[in-house]
Amino acid sequence: MWTKVFSGFGYWDVYSWIIFFFIASGLVLWIRSMGRSDYKKGTEQDEIFYGANAVPEDGSEIQVPASSAYWGFVEALKGYYEKLAEMHSGLTNDYVGYMVVVAAVLVVLVLL
Amino acid sequence: MKLERYLDILSKSIWVFLCNSGSCNGCDIEIVASLTPRYDIERFGMKLVGTPRHADVLLVTGPVTKFMASKLKRIYAQMPDPKVVIAVGNCAASGDVFYKSYNLEGPVDNVIPVDVYVHGCPPRPEAIIEGAVKAILKLEKMKEELKKAGAPK
Repeated sequence: MWTKVFSGFGYWDVYSWIIFFFIASGLVLWIRSMGRSDYKKGTEQDEIFYGANAVPEDGSEIQVPASSAYWGFVEALKGYYEKLAEMHSGLTNDYVGYMVVVAAVLVVLVLL
Repeated sequence: MKLERYLDILSKSIWVFLCNSGSCNGCDIEIVASLTPRYDIERFGMKLVGTPRHADVLLVTGPVTKFMASKLKRIYAQMPDPKVVIAVGNCAASGDVFYKSYNLEGPVDNVIPVDVYVHGCPPRPEAIIEGAVKAILKLEKMKEELKKAGAPK
């Protein structure tokens, strides 16, 4: 039961994936160890390079956020997005509540 | 071992960060020309990098304007040791015709220590490449000194 899981798209071998995970982790750690380690920690050598400027505390005034790329899309669907943003309260209780409600609706639809 | 032998056994190709501290772009164009197929310094693995955190050598062009002085200092401070600075062009080396300008901090060595000076207005790519070779020799010397002082590899 543990070794093979039928996913509907083929069989997934758990042990193969665990072995793959360790091999990939080893590769990542090896590549990381090749990086320079001789910089002085705690000095400016350790700081973010921000085009030779001091890194701003709040960069909102000098940065163009990636969301600008789809500003028109969001503006056109403002009503919808505002509702979505309101629903994303960040509280797990709310999200679980949504899941329970959606699951209940689906169960009713499927059973009826 | 002769210092020149180190050229054969460099642990890595030098990577270069370019800072225009107030140049007219003449020197920058010559630096870019040294990357073109005619001179092609990239065949030695030498390349311009986008951050001083990856650089071994800092190429500075132009006299240092008051606006750029703090930025140049920050770039120099952010480069890992050992590091070498090459002042490219007459303006970077001495201020040239802009020497007495009201808006200058002065030539590059007024702001950060310079190891190699490449003169010319602008210097030819051959001169810039020779400057880079001198920088490699200096860099290797510094690496040896750091190693003797017990720096991590």
